[in-house]
Amino acid sequence: MWRGFEGIMKIDFSFLSKYHEALLMGLGTTLHLTVICFGFALVLGFALALLRGSKIAPVAWAATLYVEFFRGTPVLVQLFWIFYCLPIFLGTELSNFTSAVVCLSLYGGAIMSESFRSGLKSIGREQYDAAHALGLGPWTRTIYVLLPQAVLRAVPVLLSNGVGLFKESALISAVGMAELMFIGSTISNRTARPVEVFTVIALIYFLVAFPLTRLVAVLERRILRRLAI
Amino acid sequence: MEYDLQFHYVKQAWPHLMEGLWVTLQLTFAANVIALTLGFGIALLVMSRHWFVRAPFALLIEFFRCTPVLVQVIWFFYCVPILFGVYLDPMPMGILALGLNLACFNAEAYRAAIQAVPREQMDAGVALGFSPVQRVVYIVFPHALRAALPVLITNGITLFQQSALVALVAIGDLMYMGKQVATETYRPIETFTTVALIYFAVSFPVARLAALVERRLDVARV
Repeated sequence: MWRGFEGIMKIDFSFLSKYHEALLMGLGTTLHLTVICFGFALVLGFALALLRGSKIAPVAWAATLYVEFFRGTPVLVQLFWIFYCLPIFLGTELSNFTSAVVCLSLYGGAIMSESFRSGLKSIGREQYDAAHALGLGPWTRTIYVLLPQAVLRAVPVLLSNGVGLFKESALISAVGMAELMFIGSTISNRTARPVEVFTVIALIYFLVAFPLTRLVAVLERRILRRLAI
Repeated sequence: MEYDLQFHYVKQAWPHLMEGLWVTLQLTFAANVIALTLGFGIALLVMSRHWFVRAPFALLIEFFRCTPVLVQVIWFFYCVPILFGVYLDPMPMGILALGLNLACFNAEAYRAAIQAVPREQMDAGVALGFSPVQRVVYIVFPHALRAALPVLITNGITLFQQSALVALVAIGDLMYMGKQVATETYRPIETFTTVALIYFAVSFPVARLAALVERRLDVARV
């Protein structure tokens, strides 16, 4: 019955040392991708959060529809759409990396906008009034009054969204880009040792993501204390 | 752009897509049932007074939360049969992987909710002579379920979306069927757009429901 015992006995991680360069390269690509998409998603997210609060109804609706659509469909579907359909619309080939960046940034933007929106919501009415009383224009008000406060309050959530993007980036392997997960699958296929390979892959993801989530928790406590809310 | 949209092929493949949606819904439902019950158990264990009970479950939760779902699903599919000699059909394996993942996320939601159960409620339970098990079942669980409901529903829909990646291990869910139809008809735009719309049509109303429940709970609390 407990045939598994043999399986456990045969585990041997030593062969993976041969592949450490490939794994590091994969991790490098994954991190590179995550950082770029994180940047784009932050900008897009803030813009979307502002647009959703717009006084012009169609603008607000369009932004809301965008956010709901990207949050309401699987990232994998978005990824396939962008890989297979966007080139047809644009009439040019996109590189794997570009498509991956487009996909995760568009998705990330939708997620980030929600965090910015709750950050913006928590800014009191009196801040708007003060900006008005000081005669600040809408642009100055947004950049110097709203943005810093919204960002400060949203920092922990934005960072955990970043960790989320890091994890979602594993999906990109499905369309053949050589990031960490893809390299893992390739090694696993070549060596026929999925247990060791995928365990190590999972551990690598964990070793990056876990310290970041701890950092987020620490930041959250500090910011809450500073804002005294 | 010179592309002639033709939804005719998608219409022909509609029964296939619905078949896929049915598999996706079954997966989502079964995983949610596992996660709603198991999640509560894990939440209790992680709040245990003894560190040797707490530690392994805290690690389990962190592990599921800090690795990609894709890695977890692939790990289950390749490694569970080799490690434990257990050979399950793809569907139960997918349910197990997704269910455990969701259970860990739900455990966090339950934990926050359990911590918010007022101390007096427990005292009242003690005063009324409830046993510890009765206190958990009749006092803590209903409170926690109610408080955690919006997050539990949101987690449930997230899983509905995450379930699309079982297509990569060849379970015939909506995503898998969509991929097949797109390849067979050479109509990726129409097919993937339709698939996206189907996912959206299911998850959007449920997301609204979660928002509604949250608002009502806020009102009830005041």
